[in-house]
Amino acid sequence: MSDIEFVSISKTFPRGGAVFTALDGVSLKIPDKEFVAIVGPSGCGKTTLMRMVAGLEAPSSGVVRVGGRAVNGPGADRAVVFQQFALFPWKTVRENIAFGLKCKGMSRAERDELALHFIDLMGLSGTEENYPHQLSGGMQQRVAIARSYAIEPEVLLMDEPFGSLDAQTRILMQEELIRISRVNPRTVLFITHAVEEAVYLADRVVVLARSPGRIVEIADTRPTRQAEGWDKVASEEVMEMPGFGHLRAHIWRLLRQQMQLPAREKNKDRKT
Amino acid sequence: MKARSLIGAATVVALLLSWYAATDLFGLIDRHRFPSPTDVLAAGSQIMSRGYAGATLLTQCVYSLRLVVLGFLIAAATGVPLGIAMGLSRRFEAFINPVFLLIRPIPPLAWIPLAIVWLGLADSAKILVIWFAAFVPAVINAYTGIRNVDPTLIAAARVHGASSALILRDVLIPGAMPMIFTGLRLSLQASWTTLVAAELVGAIFGLGKVLSTAYRDIYPAMIAVGMISVAVLGALTTRALSMIENRVVRWRRS
Amino acid sequence: MTAGQQIERWRLALLSLAGTAVFFGSWQAVAGSGLVSKFVLPSPAEVIVAGVSMMSEPFAGDTIQGHVLASLGRWAAGFAIAAGIGIPTGLAMGHWRVLDAILSPIFEGYRYIAPLAWVPFAALWFGTGIGGPIMVIFTGAFAPCLLNAYRGAHQVERHLTEAARTLGAGGVRVMLEVLLPGALPSVISGLRVGAGLGWQSLIGAELIVVSSGIGYVLVQGQSNLAPEIVIAAMLAVGLVGLLIDVVLRSVESRIRRRWGQ
Repeated sequence: MSDIEFVSISKTFPRGGAVFTALDGVSLKIPDKEFVAIVGPSGCGKTTLMRMVAGLEAPSSGVVRVGGRAVNGPGADRAVVFQQFALFPWKTVRENIAFGLKCKGMSRAERDELALHFIDLMGLSGTEENYPHQLSGGMQQRVAIARSYAIEPEVLLMDEPFGSLDAQTRILMQEELIRISRVNPRTVLFITHAVEEAVYLADRVVVLARSPGRIVEIADTRPTRQAEGWDKVASEEVMEMPGFGHLRAHIWRLLRQQMQLPAREKNKDRKT
Repeated sequence: MKARSLIGAATVVALLLSWYAATDLFGLIDRHRFPSPTDVLAAGSQIMSRGYAGATLLTQCVYSLRLVVLGFLIAAATGVPLGIAMGLSRRFEAFINPVFLLIRPIPPLAWIPLAIVWLGLADSAKILVIWFAAFVPAVINAYTGIRNVDPTLIAAARVHGASSALILRDVLIPGAMPMIFTGLRLSLQASWTTLVAAELVGAIFGLGKVLSTAYRDIYPAMIAVGMISVAVLGALTTRALSMIENRVVRWRRS
Repeated sequence: MTAGQQIERWRLALLSLAGTAVFFGSWQAVAGSGLVSKFVLPSPAEVIVAGVSMMSEPFAGDTIQGHVLASLGRWAAGFAIAAGIGIPTGLAMGHWRVLDAILSPIFEGYRYIAPLAWVPFAALWFGTGIGGPIMVIFTGAFAPCLLNAYRGAHQVERHLTEAARTLGAGGVRVMLEVLLPGALPSVISGLRVGAGLGWQSLIGAELIVVSSGIGYVLVQGQSNLAPEIVIAAMLAVGLVGLLIDVVLRSVESRIRRRWGQ
């Protein structure tokens, strides 16, 4: 079992003499094998939440638990897919994917076999001996995802993983991610600012507000997903379905409410 | 940041204390080979009041400093314009470059014997060698600085109707300034290294003369005094150059 | 290539040739005019003759190749020690802040001491045979090795070390598999600069206290009032320095190409 639990998380930074509150009292439970997306405007602390689960940052108060244990530093039970891919430029595709297995102390033969399995699964066959810079952005992100899956983590953390890809590649990768997570279900925490992506991929979408970062709503997409049969058709058809459109519009409205607040203040300034 | 400088200060204090403990306090290290803090203080006060190797510390320092500053200034005044000219004109670069490439790999210190053959132990020999040492980095960096100015900036100036002279004065030279100062810092470092070497090889006055005399007298504390003086003067001149740089390149983000 | 570019290229080549000709021409003219004594400025031809004859006839105890090899051997030893200590220390300082805070003030102070100022202590502590010169080379090459490893480790992007840690890598593995390869281009530039400074410091040491090697040939040429020998030895010094630089440069560009940086 590997559920994720945020218990009244707060995060504050000293900023120019004052104290800036990035996250304020965030509590959330993600059951085992659930796919949760967090959306919110930039600066709402969504990436910070993910980094806390990864053990790369600590909350100022509150506690993050994974599988019932408080997080205390990074570990191979939680894999991270970074927006910048974070592939080692000096390692080939195969060596990148096998890196985590090497850290586990696996023998060379074992890790090559496992790496090849994930190369195959992610459609990377033929690129095993290439260096990252020889691949397109989409292919690089496939390698990063394969590297994360290869250590067979309980929890998969994805920080805007498709944020630096072009629009077409992005859609194909989203479909791919749905396919992979059916073969290999994991608890997933997916950070994004793209509403469509969040609704399409996640079981539940958590909407965050900023200054201070807090949860405004949690939308469950599963009833609509099952009723409209999203998983059986291509993504462009899902986008046309009324239930999908309704969810997307609903979340957009929530985000717009927050984004207009500072925008209006700026306009006022300009008039005076 | 605060914790960092605290740790730094603690390290320096710990180092000084262990130096004192290993030499003066417990005598773990042979003082004829490695001086103790009290030895160094005594040597310092000796050279400051009575003098050593022919003059007091102040005179020796002024003597060396004068040669470095003169050599450095001559090198900057000749090297920077040459580098700028090479950066501006491909034809001029083609004319000068082969000779420059031939001379460049020869370490400046290797010029010392030739300078002595030509000019003896006089000041002019040392200034010549320092000039050689400081010249090369000044040229290379001024050249690179001019060549690396963003072509969009030049195009923008041209679109606004700037003449070539104006572009050189208001775009190219200011754009190359950070690189020019990088070169001058290297030049200054090379000047000190070269001066010390030249004075060690042969000199009448100067810190290198203090070092070589102390070596011959097997006087480790005085060697340390000489080294510390060279380091302090090097640090001071570098600081002075940075102050000039900050004034000239005020627009640069720190 | 257009005809205009072709012409310009020829013109540039001609100018290069002209520049070289003017240099050697005026050297020859001054030396041959009889205005300066040949004990001050020998002609280019006399320098070449001196260089060639030193290859077979020993000068100051050995042939010129022998002196160069003696110098190179010392250089290699001092340089290897400088790299072996400087690079790991620099990487560690770049990664662990505490170590950085402890060692930085010492290193800052050390950097201001001109490498040649170590010559008296080097000779006093390790003699003028092998140990002293090696220490002088070390003091010349150490700072660039350390500094560039430090900068390189700083520049390794944080998400790479974070990715390694989330994949289960420990401190040593992060050092060896992320920091070192990530910093390698910078480390190699540091080696290149250090190699040059080490070579130059050695020449200085040989000028001052050591009685063999190519720097010693320079001093002997000077005291025998034989400038043609001095200039020939200077060219040998430059040639070896150039060779070291070319080799390290090619290693550097190969590494950069391979990782697409």
